[in-house]
Amino acid sequence: MRVPVSWLRELVETDLSAEELAERLTLGGLEVEEVEEAYETLGPVVAAEILEVRPHPEADRLAVCEVTEGKRRYTVVSGAPGLAPGLKVALALPGSITFSGMKIQETRLRGVSSQGMLLSPYEAGVSGEKDRLLLLPSQAELGRPFYEALGLAEPVLEVAVTPNRGDCLSLLGVAREVSALTGAPLRLPEIPELPEGDLRELIDCYIEDEEGCFRYAGRLLEGLQVRESPFWMAQRLWMCGLRPLNNLVDVTNYVMLELGQPLHAFDYEKIRGKKIVVRAAREGESLRTLDGELRELPPGTLVIADAEGPVAVAGVMGGEESGIREETRTVFLEAAWFNPVRIRRSARNLKLSSESSYRFERGVDPEGVLRALDRAAALLAEVAGGRVIPGRVDLYPRPWQAPEIRLRRTKLESYLRWGRPLSEAASYLERLGGRVELREEEILFRPPSHRGDLALEEDLIEEVARLYGYDRLPVTLPVGELFASSVEREDRLLSRVREALTALGFYEVINYSFIDPRALEALELAENDPRLRPLPLANPLSETQSVMRTTLLPGLLETARFNFFREVGRLRIFETGKVFFPQEEGLPEERLHLGLLLLGDFEPAFWGRRGRPADIYDLKGVLEVLFQTLGVEGLALEPHAREVFLRRGLSFRLLAQGKEIGFAGEVKNYLRTRYELPAPVLVAEMDLTACLALPEAPRHYRGLPRFPATSRDLSVVVREELPAGEILQFLSRLDIPYLERVEIVDVYRGEPLSAGEKSVTIRFVYRALERTLTDEEVNALQEEVAAKVLAAFEARRR
Amino acid sequence: MTEKELEALRSRLQQELALLKDLKALEEFRVRYLGKKGQITRILKGLKELPPEERRRIGRLANQLRDELEEALRARREALLRAAEDETPGVDLTLPGRPFELGRLHPVTQTLQEICAVFLRLGFDLARGPEVETDYYNFEALNIPPDHPARDMQDTFYLRGGLLLRTHTSPIQIRTMQTRRPPLRIIAPGKVYRCDSDVRHTPMFHQVEGLLVDREVSFTDLKGLLTYFAREIFGPRTRVRFRPSYFPFTEPSAEMDIECVLCGGAGCRLCEYTGWLEILGAGMVHPQVLRGVGYDTEKWQGLAFGLGVERIAMLRYGIDDIRLFYENHLRFLEQF
Repeated sequence: MRVPVSWLRELVETDLSAEELAERLTLGGLEVEEVEEAYETLGPVVAAEILEVRPHPEADRLAVCEVTEGKRRYTVVSGAPGLAPGLKVALALPGSITFSGMKIQETRLRGVSSQGMLLSPYEAGVSGEKDRLLLLPSQAELGRPFYEALGLAEPVLEVAVTPNRGDCLSLLGVAREVSALTGAPLRLPEIPELPEGDLRELIDCYIEDEEGCFRYAGRLLEGLQVRESPFWMAQRLWMCGLRPLNNLVDVTNYVMLELGQPLHAFDYEKIRGKKIVVRAAREGESLRTLDGELRELPPGTLVIADAEGPVAVAGVMGGEESGIREETRTVFLEAAWFNPVRIRRSARNLKLSSESSYRFERGVDPEGVLRALDRAAALLAEVAGGRVIPGRVDLYPRPWQAPEIRLRRTKLESYLRWGRPLSEAASYLERLGGRVELREEEILFRPPSHRGDLALEEDLIEEVARLYGYDRLPVTLPVGELFASSVEREDRLLSRVREALTALGFYEVINYSFIDPRALEALELAENDPRLRPLPLANPLSETQSVMRTTLLPGLLETARFNFFREVGRLRIFETGKVFFPQEEGLPEERLHLGLLLLGDFEPAFWGRRGRPADIYDLKGVLEVLFQTLGVEGLALEPHAREVFLRRGLSFRLLAQGKEIGFAGEVKNYLRTRYELPAPVLVAEMDLTACLALPEAPRHYRGLPRFPATSRDLSVVVREELPAGEILQFLSRLDIPYLERVEIVDVYRGEPLSAGEKSVTIRFVYRALERTLTDEEVNALQEEVAAKVLAAFEARRR
Repeated sequence: MTEKELEALRSRLQQELALLKDLKALEEFRVRYLGKKGQITRILKGLKELPPEERRRIGRLANQLRDELEEALRARREALLRAAEDETPGVDLTLPGRPFELGRLHPVTQTLQEICAVFLRLGFDLARGPEVETDYYNFEALNIPPDHPARDMQDTFYLRGGLLLRTHTSPIQIRTMQTRRPPLRIIAPGKVYRCDSDVRHTPMFHQVEGLLVDREVSFTDLKGLLTYFAREIFGPRTRVRFRPSYFPFTEPSAEMDIECVLCGGAGCRLCEYTGWLEILGAGMVHPQVLRGVGYDTEKWQGLAFGLGVERIAMLRYGIDDIRLFYENHLRFLEQF
């Protein structure tokens, strides 16, 4: 809502400057987002000097001027009288929009290029004079905004009105706030007495839909002349951001801006049957609205109809047919109070929002309807040369009644720690304009009719608090009992994941929860894979963000691509976030997933070493550390993943107590190349929600060894295809005394081994808890084990 | 060999020793004097040819000289060896160290954790809720009935079957109050969604919701709590102000501004020349909301607040485009 301060001052007597008003209103809850200079909305219109004037070669009535704004020269074609070198003028440069809405750009006028326009007082928004040049004082500084040179200032407050304060969508509403906040007296516009009479012969009005229309009022005016509005009115509309059209339409807009009551003017001659019915639209009805569009009216839409059909969408927009045109002489002026919900539905269903619907949706003042109607009628008569026909329609089946709200001292004290007299609270409420009754322990308040948002005790507490000043209220800390609560398992798990992975050099990324369905298709999953059935958005911003993710993989791959194309070829990232699976009924299943991605060198190159590309053992190693850190039992990695997009021989299934909860491995080329990434790309994804079902791994202390260990290495030559893990598994079944641990310390291929063979070196570490083992003992044990290994795997010693 | 000569030899040796610069020279020196054919060795060997009286006297002195020399050599050698340790040929200390890498959490996560930590210190519990919600939890239970203009305040993403992506973390208030009895204090972080996308909006962002319900809790407590929060996050001297505002689920409602982090209140582009930056929305829980979950409003009062994590991160780190958070450019992520 744009509030010109000069207009505001007409309605409330205040000496505060625009900035002070902005501050007071903002701290009072009516946020002023900006104090704008109205003339600035014209764009670049600057003080310039005419250097030279010569006749236009093609047109007698035009002249070609050379002008300067102090920096460069402009050639401007002008038709204004009195052009002469040395004059200071207002030069509108390309990009400016004049008062009448003309967009200035570099153009050619009858063959001569024109780089701007010299404005008349009218086009500059200064006065109604159109036929002369706006002259600036001779001392005007070139290049400065023209209005400064004239000493003009029209500050406009840009006010953000919250949905509960529809009453502030008008100059009067803002003036009331200023009055309530500062105590400045309000000045309502004067409305002359209008003649009484009976209009029933001339127009027959009827509310059929009483749920949709609470009050319907109207007046008839005749002998009107449609023409341009007087400048003062046009200027105010312009300052409020509305385009002046003609005096009839402008008056309705003017009064709406002034008093907050939307009005509509019908061409009386076009009202068929001289009958007005406020009713719900019927099946199949349509209306061509003022914007020229033919609209189907959904049944139930609140309309204003004449004897034959709808002539306006009530509270939203009038019909074209019954609208004001140049020939209009007699007008039916409507002011109403419609049900906000119905207007909102109309606007939404028709996808048509207007200044009028915006106000009706937020509630207009039921007791202000007649004031606005009479104000508009009087203004119309004044600016359009017409006459108000005696009489007034006012259908008001159930007049508004002020609710009675109780504000108890106890509640006020408990909510605000209010230590001041109750009478002071009452004085703030009084400023709102309602009826206040101060009792011993409470205040009874009947809010004014424009404050439909006040209904509860808490509403009054807010009013007292804000008029007193939020900042003046004390600052305290809550007092409460301690709670014995514990950390949720999910939070503990998450923090462990984060700790482990950041320690391992991984960066956390956050991707959008919605993805491109084509990214899912690109995985080439089996048709029955649930990940192919994501939850679609009904109103996505774009196709690429149109379904809820069922896997973190597309986001991670996209992030890798984004980075790779920005010269980040080495990436170690992870993400934790929800994935979504639709259910037959109710909310979808949300599962917390963890995703990892490795790209490029795992060990970075530097001056002393070449980089080492990441491989599956890096990913496996990372997952092994992660599994240990998570502190849950039963996590395991097993070759191979079932995922079609992973290279089978370089992939794992992630298991939780035997149940598959994820995958890890190297991405196949078809998917990798889709994201234009170099090989290898290693990824893993794991369902953390599934981990929550696993038991926590207890942490027990084991005594530290007091006697030294003895180790023996065994190198065996085996078939290439034999997984080393099988040897370890075999050993774990043997139950060898004193064997503390076994590890694979080397795998060797090549000379002198023949092709198809490899050598695996296993380190055995022996230790007794209670003494030092002798070499002889260990040798004997080791010989026995070696023989068993050699026999079991048809191996030989190397 | 006379005593005098021995004395002269000692002083010469001391001078010579002081001039030795490396181990090689030291060794040559040792051989020259203490080796098998060394001068001192020779003197000692020649003792037996002296008369007994002189032999004892000269012998004592010569032995003493040898011991002294050996000790001096040892000390000198030790000194040279220590000095040699300082020599490190081939080491260029101007080369950078081997790269070690720690990963980092996303700046949004870091900010979120810090925000939550402030309230966890005050005894709030963490709470979570689903990201896909029903109209009831996201709107109706929060006193935003259908066809209410307040619905315009948030552009909602809808799914089929009347479901939607939560537009704020406030539904967690309702879910928590439905399952727990007061008093309660929760802090609820999470992702929220609105169909909006430009320099200041991403369709997904993060909020932290706070809720405190107790017997005696007041609007002034809300001020205190949030002032403490602002100073924890933005520094102990941060000035704050509270402005009346409107949220359907709180009454009275407020917005909290902090003094502009860039200009300190003087007015700049960041604060749009107001000197203040809007940080969060808050208020006393609307009685309609409390009644909706079956709380007796004559017994229980609540305060609630909600804040945008990205906004706070942007202000703290001076980030001017919210979309950077979701591009995940490593050069961005590694700055935090």
